[in-house]
Amino acid sequence: MNPAIDGVAASRGGDDRAALPRLKSELLELNMGPQHPSTHGVLRLLIHTDGEIVHSVRPYIGYLHRCAEKIGEGCDCRQFVVYTDRLDYLAPMNCNFGYVVAVEKLMGIAVPERAEHIRVICAELQRIASHLIAFGTFGLDMGAWTPLLYAFREREVILNIFERLCGGRMLYNYYDIGGVRFDLPDGFAEEVVDFIDMFERKLDEYNTLLSYNKIFIERTADVGVLSVADANAYGCTGPVLRGSGVAWDCRRDDPYSIYDRFEFDVPTGQGEMGTVGDSWDRYMVRIREMAESCRIVRQAVKALPEGPIRTPELKKIVKVPAGAAYTRTESSKGELGFYVIADGGATPFRLKIRSPSFSNLHVIEKIGPGQMISDLVATVGSLDLVLGEIDR
Amino acid sequence: MEQVTALFARIAGAGTLSPQLLLWLGALTMALIMALVMAACAIVFTWAERKVAGFIQSRYGPMRVGRWHGIAQPIADMLKILQKEDIIPADADRKFFILAPFVLFIGSLMAWAAIPFAPGFVAADLDMGLLYIFAASSLVTIGILMSGWASNNKWSLYGAARGAAQIVSYEIPLALAVVPVVLYAGSLNMTDIVVAQQGGIWKWFALRNPFLFVSFLIYFLASIAEVNRTPFDLPETESELVAGYHTEYSGMRFAFFFLAEYANLFLVSCIATAVFLGGWGHPVPGLNFAPALVFLAKAVLLVLAQIWIRWTLPRLRVDQLMHVCWKVMIPLALVCLAGSGVWMLAFVRFA
Amino acid sequence: MEPAAIHQLLVEKFGDAVVGWHPDGPEPCAEVAPARVADVALFLRDDPRLAFALLMCLSGIDWDGYDAAGKGKSVAILGYRADGTPEAGERVATGDLGVAYHLYSYAHRHKFTLRARVPRAQPSLPTVCRVWPTAAWHEREAWDLLGIVFTGHPDPRRILLEDGWIGHPLRKDYAMPGAWEGVPLQGQPYAVSSAKPVLPPPSAPAPRPAPPDQGARGPAEGGSA
Repeated sequence: MNPAIDGVAASRGGDDRAALPRLKSELLELNMGPQHPSTHGVLRLLIHTDGEIVHSVRPYIGYLHRCAEKIGEGCDCRQFVVYTDRLDYLAPMNCNFGYVVAVEKLMGIAVPERAEHIRVICAELQRIASHLIAFGTFGLDMGAWTPLLYAFREREVILNIFERLCGGRMLYNYYDIGGVRFDLPDGFAEEVVDFIDMFERKLDEYNTLLSYNKIFIERTADVGVLSVADANAYGCTGPVLRGSGVAWDCRRDDPYSIYDRFEFDVPTGQGEMGTVGDSWDRYMVRIREMAESCRIVRQAVKALPEGPIRTPELKKIVKVPAGAAYTRTESSKGELGFYVIADGGATPFRLKIRSPSFSNLHVIEKIGPGQMISDLVATVGSLDLVLGEIDR
Repeated sequence: MEQVTALFARIAGAGTLSPQLLLWLGALTMALIMALVMAACAIVFTWAERKVAGFIQSRYGPMRVGRWHGIAQPIADMLKILQKEDIIPADADRKFFILAPFVLFIGSLMAWAAIPFAPGFVAADLDMGLLYIFAASSLVTIGILMSGWASNNKWSLYGAARGAAQIVSYEIPLALAVVPVVLYAGSLNMTDIVVAQQGGIWKWFALRNPFLFVSFLIYFLASIAEVNRTPFDLPETESELVAGYHTEYSGMRFAFFFLAEYANLFLVSCIATAVFLGGWGHPVPGLNFAPALVFLAKAVLLVLAQIWIRWTLPRLRVDQLMHVCWKVMIPLALVCLAGSGVWMLAFVRFA
Repeated sequence: MEPAAIHQLLVEKFGDAVVGWHPDGPEPCAEVAPARVADVALFLRDDPRLAFALLMCLSGIDWDGYDAAGKGKSVAILGYRADGTPEAGERVATGDLGVAYHLYSYAHRHKFTLRARVPRAQPSLPTVCRVWPTAAWHEREAWDLLGIVFTGHPDPRRILLEDGWIGHPLRKDYAMPGAWEGVPLQGQPYAVSSAKPVLPPPSAPAPRPAPPDQGARGPAEGGSA
């Protein structure tokens, strides 16, 4: 006798079942991953199913563990920037940003104005690139191939901009303690504005193609509903939290860098197509955030001052004064926090990375069960996970 | 087939071959032609699918092999797939695992026999041709179930269960949608059905009356489900079930699934052409095209429409799929059947 | 509410259980007795004046060899030698382990940091995953990487490393393995801090790759059916 089955029978009104001859039945144990097309990396979900209905979801992580925190204790602060690229490899600029802000906060140094603006421009462009992947792969999870290619087409322009900026297309290692590594190439501002002009029109195309597609809405509305209470309890942040209707954004509500100077809205899930906090809401928050990022980039490009791009008085090997601080930034996936404990030397004594996807994935244990396998795929897709930062 | 038999008789000289032998020769020739057509359409459609997908997704698709727009890409793929190792999972049910792709393939091959490509050009001009086609193409379900079960893979099993449920369900609207046509044509013979549509575009059954047009749409949508393509590709949902019922297949065996998929795709389009779109009849009066080419052109257009749909839409969930079938399509098909009957009584004069 | 005021509230409520207060530095934090962590956590979450709904981060810390004077003289961690063999540590680690809880309140928009220290010999403290479910994974990670035991944890397995892993890598006395399951491991030393990072002077023009030609899209290969 399987207690899980009996529990299910009871919840469905076990009486008519009792009248039937006792059939032996058990839940099907299914490994979704580590190699599976829709887990977005090497994530393994151990699920128990009764037919198409999922009864329990248990994530197994760590397949991509690269000891980032241990490495952080072994190399000096500036050297670690390159490892932050590898956390969320779809948004390395945001990860760079989070880390340098954390170290600078402990050091108590100010960053030149020009560098701050460059940082914001890059971070927002990167957010668009990352959300484009989220948009594309979510479409792919729903069986629509084409949005992915459209997203890659636009992302390509961002990658070209970044390539001209720092030579990298995927991992940039661009932010530096006290500034950024290289100054802007000629014509950078125009290139960025051109892209934004082009991109804002593309958003309508995405909406026509996918967001307001009837099948897509049927597949995502009311699926994987995440309540505000659960989102808070499981530490969900970023678009996942905002999809549940909480207008909270680190950039606006706990500002770092120069985000307090820019005007932008924090889009939230409104439950337009179903319940507040469903997969469609989480998806739509990302689409709307891209428009907001465009607004920020426009303002930042307009306000871009001349001047140095790095704090000049900084030595090559930076020493961080003793102390401990947890600093969070809004990466494309949510709240990316670095807890740095320094002892006055060049190397952090302890470096804990709080990645947004780590907590966002955890909540699948709560909202995954009870839906169909297809819905589980939709829910996982709408959380926009990157295993690089979950496993670190 | 009679022409083919007659051709053989003429070549060999009258009376030199026994009628039995002639029959066999004719049947073999037609089977060969059909198999070649199937292989050719699979090759052409894989290429077309990639190119169309490329255009829809603002990219090129294959461009290198064969110099002109990757025209030789399917051949290169075939060569590659022939060299692949044939893997049979250790715990698979070997007999069924090996048999399944052939059952699937034969199911669609058999149905081809009754398709009239041109006047007289039909392998088996059966009196209940339409019924035979639906019966033969139902074999696909058995092939899918066999492969899913024999693979001993949970994803395959899911795919097979979904596939069986889906195909069995969608056969009903599919069949119901062609019944009004049978009413009009008064025959189940495919050639008769096509002949009944000759003489201008308004004779095509899809355009005879509004109910028939809706029937045509129902048939078209149900046929997409029948061949497991997006938005109804649940048996092989890549993002959910890895590859569904053919997850464990590789090499040539996989190629058979692939072949059967495109053959089926073309088959349902051919049926639609014959049943709803006037077969080899073309709308321009006076012109005399090769009838087979007209027929193929119509079928290819339908295939392109299916490809277009596949690369544009997301996919449904399994319960929504069933909802569409049982609660929308079947009632609508029944309404169309009744409507067509009434329309016939009211407007059509019987000779 | 300011951290100092929150600390005052904690002292009023829990008295001796609040064993320390570090007001200096960028992030003031209160230290509580490990045995009372779960009670304090519940109070922090449920008291309407505090309402810490979000546990931003839970970090395990190995304080062994920490240079409290702030001169950067902490004991270095063990890595690999240049020849690829693991460094061996002769020093016996004695320092405490610790846990830091970073809290945030959406309602009041204030933050607070709570710390607890546990002796290395018996590194256990009650779990807070019933207060904030998100702690469950962070605590598994702290167990996995630092060997801190959270009593009452519903699922106390390793999370990032394999189940059979020996040792807890983020401990300061952790020696790198020379082999794993019979396969020898070839390691590399940590980047040496004296190596000079190569940076262009701040005023130098940026290296500029040729502008990519965005209009022309070369014939793409592949495609998918």
